[in-house]
Amino acid sequence: MSSFRRDKKEEEDTGGNIFQNLDKTALLQEARYFNSTPVNPRKCVQILTKIIYLLNQGEKLTTQEATDIFFATTKLFQSKDVVLRRLVYLCIKELSSMAQDVIIVTSSLTKDMTGKEDLYRAAAIRALCSITDSTMLQAIERYMKQAIVDKNPAVSSAALVSALHLSATVPELVRRWVNDAQEAIMSDNAMVSYHALAVVAGARKNDRLSTVKLVTKLSRSPLRSPFALCLLVRYAAKLAEEDQTEASEPYLEFIECCLRHKSEIVVYEAAHAIVNLRKSARDLAQAVSVLQIFCGSSKATLRLAGARTLAKLTTKHPNAVAACAVDLENLISDPNRSVATLAVTTLLATGAESSIDRLMKQISTFMSEISDEFKIVVVRAIRRLCTKYPRKHQSLASFLAGMLRDEGGVQYKTAIADAIIALIEENPDAKETGLAHLCEFIEDCEHTSLAVRILYVLGREGPKARQPSRYIRYIYNRVILESGPVRAAAVSAVARFGATCEDLLPNISVLLARCQLDDDDEVRDRAIFFSAILNSNDPQLISDYITNVPTPNPVLLEKALHDHLRLNPDKPFNILSVPSSEPTKEPEEAPVQIETRKQPVVSLEELYSEQLKVVPGIEKLGPPFKTCKAIDLTEPETEYRVRCVKHIFARHLILQFECLNTLSDQLLEKVRVRLESAPGYKILCEVPCEQLPYDKQGSVFCLLEFPRGPIETLGTFGATLEFSVRDCDPTTGLPDGGDGYSDTYPLEEVDVGCAEQFRAHVAPDDWEASWERAASAAEASDTFVLSQSDINEAASAVCDHLGLPKAAISGDAVKEIRGGGLWREGTPMLVRARLVASQGSVTMKLTARSPREDVATLLLAAVG
Amino acid sequence: MGLLDKLSSWMGGGGKVVTVLVLGLDNSGKTTMLRTLTTTEQEGQRQGPGASSVPTVGQRQENFQSGGVSFRAWDVSGAARLRSLWERHYRHCDAVIFVVDSADHLRLVVARSELELMLSHPDMSGRRLPLLVLANKSDAPHALSAPHVASALGLERITDKPWHVCASSALSGEGLGDGVSWLARQLREKH
Ligand SMILES: Nc1nc2c(ncn2[C@@H]2O[C@H](COP(=O)(O)OP(=O)(O)OP(=O)(O)O)[C@@H](O)[C@H]2O)c(=O)[nH]1
Ligand SMILES: [Mg+2]
Repeated sequence: MSSFRRDKKEEEDTGGNIFQNLDKTALLQEARYFNSTPVNPRKCVQILTKIIYLLNQGEKLTTQEATDIFFATTKLFQSKDVVLRRLVYLCIKELSSMAQDVIIVTSSLTKDMTGKEDLYRAAAIRALCSITDSTMLQAIERYMKQAIVDKNPAVSSAALVSALHLSATVPELVRRWVNDAQEAIMSDNAMVSYHALAVVAGARKNDRLSTVKLVTKLSRSPLRSPFALCLLVRYAAKLAEEDQTEASEPYLEFIECCLRHKSEIVVYEAAHAIVNLRKSARDLAQAVSVLQIFCGSSKATLRLAGARTLAKLTTKHPNAVAACAVDLENLISDPNRSVATLAVTTLLATGAESSIDRLMKQISTFMSEISDEFKIVVVRAIRRLCTKYPRKHQSLASFLAGMLRDEGGVQYKTAIADAIIALIEENPDAKETGLAHLCEFIEDCEHTSLAVRILYVLGREGPKARQPSRYIRYIYNRVILESGPVRAAAVSAVARFGATCEDLLPNISVLLARCQLDDDDEVRDRAIFFSAILNSNDPQLISDYITNVPTPNPVLLEKALHDHLRLNPDKPFNILSVPSSEPTKEPEEAPVQIETRKQPVVSLEELYSEQLKVVPGIEKLGPPFKTCKAIDLTEPETEYRVRCVKHIFARHLILQFECLNTLSDQLLEKVRVRLESAPGYKILCEVPCEQLPYDKQGSVFCLLEFPRGPIETLGTFGATLEFSVRDCDPTTGLPDGGDGYSDTYPLEEVDVGCAEQFRAHVAPDDWEASWERAASAAEASDTFVLSQSDINEAASAVCDHLGLPKAAISGDAVKEIRGGGLWREGTPMLVRARLVASQGSVTMKLTARSPREDVATLLLAAVG
Repeated sequence: MGLLDKLSSWMGGGGKVVTVLVLGLDNSGKTTMLRTLTTTEQEGQRQGPGASSVPTVGQRQENFQSGGVSFRAWDVSGAARLRSLWERHYRHCDAVIFVVDSADHLRLVVARSELELMLSHPDMSGRRLPLLVLANKSDAPHALSAPHVASALGLERITDKPWHVCASSALSGEGLGDGVSWLARQLREKH
C-alpha cells in the first residue's frame, strides 16, 4: 500500500501545484499506462487524481474518450492497493454518466461490496449504484438488501443513501427494500438511523396516510439518533402544515416535546418548525424563548441559528421578536460578524425610530469586515427603513451613499442603487439628494449595466427636479468618458431633458449634434433620432417617442418578433401589440434573509407562454395581449381544485382551467370543461387534459373568439368539469384494471368584464395635455350612483373595474381617477372619473375618450 | 509439480506475471473454474462448494498461480449482450482460456462462431498466444468428450497459435490442473 506520508513529502519536493496545467490529450495518453502489468499503484494514483481533478474543473470528455479512460481504469482492479482502489471507485462514479458500457464493472464491484475488506465495501456500493441501470438492478437487489442491514455502519449508510438516489429513477424497486430500511431505523448508529428514515419516508412520500402512520409511530417510540429526530420533526411539520385542523395537534405536541430534547440540533429543528407553523404569537412563546437562549450561547453556530431564525420571524411577528431586543442587543458586538449583522438588521426592523441612528453607527463600525452577502442584508434592511420612516431619509440616504463609495461587487452595488432609486420614487423629499448621490456614483462606476440603469433614472426623474440643468453635466461627462452602451444611455437621458425643459433645449440640441459624430453606431443613431424628434417641435411626437415611450416586455417582444417573421414578414409590426413590462415590485413581505439568490421576476404572460403552446393555431392569434390572474372556480379544500386563467388576445380569448386532483386513490382521464357559452362568443377548439394523476396540476384549454362589437363581450360562461375516474393504488399511482366511470363536477361561472380587455396605466405626468389632445376623439360620458357609501371604497372599486392601479386616484373630498390604456385590438383610450360623496351615497361622472366610440362606451357599460 | 516449479515458487510465488483472458458462453463455468482455482490453493472450503453461481455482469479479476507463473485472470461475462466487451481485453492479454459447456450440445455452434470471431479479431490474429480450451462439465450426463468438442469447434484449423484441449470439471477441479500447467509451460517457454 502506498502510504500517505510518502506522497506528502513528494508534494513538498516538487513545489507548486502539479495539477495546474493539465492537458486533456496528454492525460488520455497517460491513462493507457493503466493497461501495463504489474500495476504501479503510486503512479496510477497520481494519474487518477489528475483525471478526477480535470473532470471536476468542468472539462468535457467525448463519449469515446470517457469510455477509453473508463476501460483503462477497470484494469486497475488487479491491484489490491486500498488508496488506488478507492480512487478507482471515485473515477467510476465520475465517468458513469459519460462512458458507455459502464455496467462492465458490476461484478467487480459486487465482489468488493460483499468481500472481506471493509475499506472497500461502502465505497463499492456507492459506485455500484451509480453505474447500475434499471435492467441490472434486479441482479444486485439481494446484495443491497443485505448491505442495508449490515452491521458495519459505513456499509449500511452507503447502501441507504444509494437507495435514496436510486428512488429517483426506480422508486418501485427501492420500495421493496423498505422492510430492511425499517430495521435500520433502529440502528445504534445515528447516521444509519437517519438515512434509513429518509429511505422509508421517501418511499411513502406520495401516500399521506402511511406517512401519517409512520410519523405517529416513530414519534411515540423516541428515536435515539438526533439526526433522524430532526428529519422526523420536518415530516411532522409538513403534515401539520398540510392539515390545519385539530388532527394536526399531535404533531405539534410532538414537535413541542422536542424543544426539551438534550441535543441542540433537535431543539433548533423543533423551534424552527414551530416558528414557521404557528399562527399566533402566544403559541410561539416556547420556541422563541429557546431561540433567545441560543442567542446567548457560547457557540457561534447556535448564536447564528438563533439570530437568523428570529430575523426571519420579524415580518410575521414583529412583536415576538421585539421582545428579544435585549438578547439581540448583546449580539451587536459579536465577534462573528454574520451574527452581528443579523442582530443589527433585525433590531432595525423591529426597533423604534429613535434607535435608528445609534444602530446605524454600530453597523458602520464593522461594515468593512463583512462579506458582500451580509452587506446586501444591511442594504435591504435600510431600504425597508426608508419606507417605514420617511422622515429619516436624510441620514439613511447618506449612509447608502457612503456604502456606494466603498469597495464591493456588482450585486452589492446594485442593491444599494436599487435602494436609492426606490427612495427617490417613494419619497418626494428625498428625490434631490438621492439623485445627487447617484450622479456622484456614476462618475466612478465600473459596472456598465448599473451605469445604464442610473442614467435612465436620471433621465426620467432629473427633468422634474428643481434645477434640472445641474444633472446635465454629469450625464454629458459619461458621453465623453464611457463605453458605447453607457454613451448611448446618456444620449437618451439627455434627450428627455430636452423634451421636458424648454429652456435647456438649445443647449441640448448642441450636445446631441456633437454626439452625431460618435464612433459608435448606436450612439450616433440615437443622437440623430432624438435631434430629429426634438427639432420637429411636435408635442405629440415628443410625447410618443421620448417622454412616454411604452417599454414592451423584452421576452414577449422577442417572441412576438419571431412569430411575426415566421408568419407575416411582409406586414409592418405593431409594437403596441406587445404587453408592456410592468414595473416589478419586490415582494413586500421579504424578510431579512441571507440568501441573495433572487427568483427571476417574470410576468404572467411569460410564465404561461410555454403552456399555451399546446393550443392548436396559437401562433396565428398574435402575441398575448394580457394574461389575467387566476381565479378560483372551486371552494378551497375540495376534491378537485380548478382555477381559471384568462388569456386575452386581440380577437380571441383562451380560458385555461388549471385542475388539481387531490384524491390519491383516483386517476382522472379525459378531463374537459363543458362551457355554456355567453351569447356572441364562438368556441373554436378545446384541448382536454388526457390524464390528471393525484397532486399533479394539469390544464384544459378552451379557445374562443370574441364577438365583433366590444359591448357584446361582457358576459358570463357556465362551466362544468367532465372526466372519467379510475381508481388506483395510492402508493404507486397505478390504476386498477377496468375502464372507470364518467363523472362531472360543477364549477363557478366565469365572467368576462372590461378590465381584462384593457392594459391600463396610471396617468402620465402630462396627462392633462394628452386629455386635451384627445378632445377631438369620440367621447362617452355618463353619471352613476354607486352602491358603496364610502368614497374611498367606491374609488378603489371603480379602479378594479377599469383595471387601473390604485395610484390613479387623487384628491380628498372629490376623488378624481385619471388613467389611460390600450384596448386589446390596439385602440388607445383615456378615462377620467370624478367621484363625490353626498347624502350617504357616492355619485360618479365617468368620461372616456377613444378614437373608437364603441370602445369608450364599453368602459361605461362595464361600470353600469 | 516438477523441481523447477517448486524452486520458483520457493523463490517468491512465481516470477512471471501473465494476463489471461477467460472466455466462453454464459453458464459455461468460467467463474466457477476460477473460484476453484483460487480457493483450493489457500482457504480450501472457505466459500463452500458452489457458493454462489450468479451470472457475471461485466468482468471480474482473479489471481492464481500455477507452474511458476502468476496468472492475472480476467473473467468476463458470456451473456450475449455483453460479449461485445470481450475485445476490450484482447490487446493486453498473454493467453486465453476458452471454456465450453460440453453438455450443451445445442450451443456448441454458438461457441464455435464466438471463438472464430475472437481469433480473427485484428488484436488477436497472427499473435502466437497460447489457447487453452476446457471441455467443461465433463461430469455432467451426456457430456461430449474432449476430442469431440475439439472437432465441433474446428480447433484443427488453428495454425497460428499453440492450442490444447482437455476435459474438465470446474466444480470438482478435475482436469483443471492439467490444462493450467500446459498453459504455464507454454508461457514460460515463450518468454
Ligand atoms: N455439473 C457441473 N456444473 C458446473 C460446472 N461448472 C460450472 N457449473 C455450473 O454452471 C453454472 C454456471 O457457472 P458459472 O461459473 O456462473 O458460469 P459463467 O461461465 O461464469 O457464466 P457467465 O458469468 O454468465 O458468463 C453454475 O450453476 C455452476 O454450478 C461443472 O464442471 N459441472
Ligand atoms: Mg461468470
